[in-house]
Amino acid sequence: MKLWRTFLAGAALAVLASTAQAQDISNLPRKETVIIENPEGTVKNPGWFNIWVNGGGGLSTGLQQLTMDTLWYIDPDQGIDGPWYNSLAAEKPIYNADFSEMTVKLRKGMYWSDGVEFTADDVVYTVQTQIDHPGMVWSPLLAVSVDSIKATDPYTVVFKLKKPNSRFHALFTVRWNAIWIMPKHVFEKVEDPLKFDFANPISISAYKLKNYDPQGKWYIWEKREDWQRTPLGLIGEPGPKYAAYVDGGPPDKKTIAQLKHELDIIHDNTPEGMFTLVEQSKSLATWFKGFPYAHPDPTLPAVIFNTQKAPFDNADVRWALALLMDIKAIDLASYRGAATLSAIGVPPTGVAMPTYQAPMQEWLKNFELDTGKSKIKPYDPTIPSQIADMLRKQPKFKDQIPTDQTAIDNQFGYGWWKPNPKAAGELLERAGFKKSGNQWLQPDGQPFRIRLTVEGDSRSVFTRAGTLITQQWKQFGIDAKALPTTNPWQPMQAGDFDAAIAWSVETWGGDADMSFFLDSWHSSFVAKPGEVQPARNWQRWSSPELDKIIEGIRGISFDDPKGVDYGMDYLKLVVKEMPTIPMMSYNVFASMDTTYWTGYPTFPDDPYTDPVPNWGNSRLMMVKLRPTQP
Amino acid sequence: MFTIIRDLIRYNIEFAIGLLILLLLIAAVILSFFSPYPASEIYVVPPDLPPDAEFWLGTTSRGQDTFWQLMIGLRNTFGFGVAVAFLSRILSLVVGLSAGYAGGRVDRILMAINDSIMVIPQFPILVLFYFVLKDDMNWLMLVLILSALGWSYDARLIRSIAMSLRTRPFTTQSVYSGMSMRKILVEEHLPYVMPIVFATTMNNMIWSIGMEITLSVLGFTDVDTPTMGQMIYWANSHSALISGIWWWVAAPVAAIVILFIGLFLLSMSMNEYIDPRSRLNRMGN
Amino acid sequence: MAAYLVFVARRFGQLVLVVFLGISATFFITHMTPVDPVAESISAITNFGKSDPEAIELMRKTLTELYGLQGNVFEQYVSFWSRLIRGDLGPSLSAFPTPVSQIIFRALPWTVGLMISATLISFTIGNTLGALAGYYRKSRLLKIISLGLIGLQPIPYYILAFILLILFGFVWPVLPITGGYEMNADLTLSFTLVLDIIRHSILPAMALVLVGAGSWLTGMRALTSNIVTEDYVTFAELGGVGSTRILRSYVVRNAIVPQLTGLAMSLGAIFNGTVITEIVFGYPGIGTLLIDAVHAGDYSLVLGLASLSIIGVAIAVFLIDILSPLLDPRIKAE
Repeated sequence: MKLWRTFLAGAALAVLASTAQAQDISNLPRKETVIIENPEGTVKNPGWFNIWVNGGGGLSTGLQQLTMDTLWYIDPDQGIDGPWYNSLAAEKPIYNADFSEMTVKLRKGMYWSDGVEFTADDVVYTVQTQIDHPGMVWSPLLAVSVDSIKATDPYTVVFKLKKPNSRFHALFTVRWNAIWIMPKHVFEKVEDPLKFDFANPISISAYKLKNYDPQGKWYIWEKREDWQRTPLGLIGEPGPKYAAYVDGGPPDKKTIAQLKHELDIIHDNTPEGMFTLVEQSKSLATWFKGFPYAHPDPTLPAVIFNTQKAPFDNADVRWALALLMDIKAIDLASYRGAATLSAIGVPPTGVAMPTYQAPMQEWLKNFELDTGKSKIKPYDPTIPSQIADMLRKQPKFKDQIPTDQTAIDNQFGYGWWKPNPKAAGELLERAGFKKSGNQWLQPDGQPFRIRLTVEGDSRSVFTRAGTLITQQWKQFGIDAKALPTTNPWQPMQAGDFDAAIAWSVETWGGDADMSFFLDSWHSSFVAKPGEVQPARNWQRWSSPELDKIIEGIRGISFDDPKGVDYGMDYLKLVVKEMPTIPMMSYNVFASMDTTYWTGYPTFPDDPYTDPVPNWGNSRLMMVKLRPTQP
Repeated sequence: MFTIIRDLIRYNIEFAIGLLILLLLIAAVILSFFSPYPASEIYVVPPDLPPDAEFWLGTTSRGQDTFWQLMIGLRNTFGFGVAVAFLSRILSLVVGLSAGYAGGRVDRILMAINDSIMVIPQFPILVLFYFVLKDDMNWLMLVLILSALGWSYDARLIRSIAMSLRTRPFTTQSVYSGMSMRKILVEEHLPYVMPIVFATTMNNMIWSIGMEITLSVLGFTDVDTPTMGQMIYWANSHSALISGIWWWVAAPVAAIVILFIGLFLLSMSMNEYIDPRSRLNRMGN
Repeated sequence: MAAYLVFVARRFGQLVLVVFLGISATFFITHMTPVDPVAESISAITNFGKSDPEAIELMRKTLTELYGLQGNVFEQYVSFWSRLIRGDLGPSLSAFPTPVSQIIFRALPWTVGLMISATLISFTIGNTLGALAGYYRKSRLLKIISLGLIGLQPIPYYILAFILLILFGFVWPVLPITGGYEMNADLTLSFTLVLDIIRHSILPAMALVLVGAGSWLTGMRALTSNIVTEDYVTFAELGGVGSTRILRSYVVRNAIVPQLTGLAMSLGAIFNGTVITEIVFGYPGIGTLLIDAVHAGDYSLVLGLASLSIIGVAIAVFLIDILSPLLDPRIKAE
């Protein structure tokens, strides 16, 4: 008994003593380590590094950002030398006249981290192996488009395509990710690449694996000694010797960790978490210096209708619902005012601002909507300024709100639709609806009922938006209710929904080409009701006019200036038809701590990349980061 | 009845406090029906106001009056806990007492069912039910599912007491004097297990309410019925803990704590009342 | 003795039946889920990058075949049992082709280690205080402690955990707030590692004990106050037996039996606590694995976790059952 007590007391003392001295979160030299949140959280199968097979390993653990590479990158923002840059390729893709063949010239002198040189054989192997193994991630994409591939010399690859495709290179162009190149000399020794975990992954980029948590909470990458022999190294010397990607935990905890300077880059946060950091941290860097702080990702959250389901097949009904939304209130309820609004079908960020958003303004201001009883001009370009004014009244934010019109346009968006219940009623009446008492009835006499699917758990801003939108619809006499689910993509794929808050528009960000998402909106890809809809046309909407635009884009090269004209046509068409109600860009509350590192991307000073760290493109941060402390 | 309560209040300060808390709760439930705002509407008052004379418990970041949210949430959550506890208590008493008294084959069959339910991990099943039922997963459904899952634990506890009661002389006497099984169980055994039933009621309510809150925090929530769990879910999704809106979290937590201390005091003093020796002991002081 | 062996054999038969029924029920509930693992896998692949509708159709066919999801539920049920009997839980569908058992056994020791130590600590604290409070019912100190623990118990675990995290990780930053050990830790067994692990488990364990002790306390208190009125206790008191001895040998010995059953059963509740612990403290374990698996429609993994839990709890209850006639002679073995 006595012995036990002595032992216990001793153990307690030892724990206390070790607690008192060690307060570091790791044994890595902190000044040489950048600690970054991986939004995947805890990785289910931590030892799985074979990114070409969906084996439960993480993607944005640093694996795709720091060790993978492929032919080209398009930056969602401005890039270091322009948004487009050649990575493993030496120049832009070379197509033949009818886009049925693509030739790629590769860089010389690039080496894998085990000292083997990168050559055309690796590219050929990547394509052929995936075609031969249907379970691999990019296998079907390659199988449906590549007829044959061969290396004509160690630094030239020629793709023969099954059918003309002017955007084939997009498969090898990183926007978040792309088809990463496999190390042939490792995989060719493996019996079945589908079962290979690629433990000890070798790298073709400037970092290599140092250590990882067998419980999947952290991954540590170390700068390669021969970092010059990689495409990322060609851009510049990476600053951090170590990069750690960690599970950040719930928003409140991430915020606390950054206030303690234990987490240099937070991937995303609640608006309130971001405001807390702005208020309390003395070493904070954010994309926008003032409101909304967040980075607008080239993704467009919208109210997506199931246009195969009556009455959402009627553009009048969709427009009526848009005119019943008070975007000011929605903005305040969801993002607390920190949203970048967009009335049109392209995210208000990157190159889309000067290319599409600004030129569309005149057309939008003059756009007339005929309700059958009256003609209205629904567009209101003053809404962002009104929101800015409202925010400026709150003492907490007073100095954080820009007054300059250009800054307001960039940070709050250009404008949105003005609520107009009268016009909405007229549109519904034209669609055959009737109001009985306080309740709108559908043409068949049933009450007008909408269930708005929202993502309940991880994207709470959209749940907040959804509860407010349905409240606004309800006040107008529609039986509307928000329906939180953990995964809204599930019912959207199955077509088992009325409307949802999600996105079907994602763009390059740094490039005006719309084909990245628009190609999948072609009518030939729309599933029959009840069948599974492939990405990304979740609204299952099609129109001959849209098909014409898409086919036009397919017929021209990706850098043809006519692409922007087609883009404009698309934007005008979806304003008239309103297949989805675009609301705002996906604002990601990424926050950066400058205690140990500086050189983070910020707007408008140096918007060289997206600070949101799960993007493959975010690797540019490594070459710009410099230690703050000697 | 009235004299009993009067005696209890007079001699037993715990009972008096517990009763007071219970009365406060009933007042809150009644009050909740007079809320000036519809329960699930947002942005009806200015958001983020700290407690003051107009908004006693401040306002939430969703523009709701915390006080009225709390009243409505208390009603739904307490109702929820009571409903689950009541239904599952009945199940566990019936199964536990009959299995423990009857023994043999009846005992084995009942315990096989009981144990099968008991060993199924509740949490995964609840989460799965949320996926299966989706829109239909409402307050009532959750009451039924939790009642169906929450009785087996206590049925075993009751059975083990019943088993030892069966070997006592007074049971044998009752059997010889020709009492029916139902009568023996209700009149002879039930009073013995009542203290444990009261204690398990509280644990059961803590379990079911905790389960509701855990599910809500994880995002499995029914937005139509404001509960404590939903309040905490929304507070958490607005980072209330770290952004200084402490009243949004403190109000429901304090309410739940006070409520359960009240329940504990009541169940403790009732146990003493049921057990005459300790009552005499107290009065003698 | 022979009677006892028959009892054990019978009880063992019941154990097998219970495990079979429990796992079967879980199998069918799991397969009712509308989440399609193939669709989930495809959206994991295509959510961010370039995609092509035609290619997605191809992928759907390939994966359905690869994951072995053809055939109706009953065929899958039969093949599930034939695999399970051989101890094979099959491959995970969201981490294909890694075996479910490999994924589970990586995380399980952490959950079991933390939950069992926390449960034992709160069991000991709760029952000791409960027995004392039930026996010395006039003690003011015990009343205050009891009330304190009972007041902590209904605090939502998520909130309590977060308050502890803010208190000991930020306001007075003496304890680590995340993980089971520090980043880049050397995981070969050493004194430093053990200290590191203990240090990281203090906050999660504290949170679990604070919310868990109350329920043992109330249960034990009720059981004890039942027993102290028994004749044999009164006789012992009149006979001049010391109160410590009465408490230990007469009261607790009898009251502890149902509590032990409760202890065995509380093993099944480890999922309830472990999910939030893992989310708040970033502690390793099977809770987030479970939630992930449910989201991904990975029924192999859900079933694997549930089956293990069912078998574990059933065996624990079985052990307590066959031991209780030995502990409490009044319970006849039958």
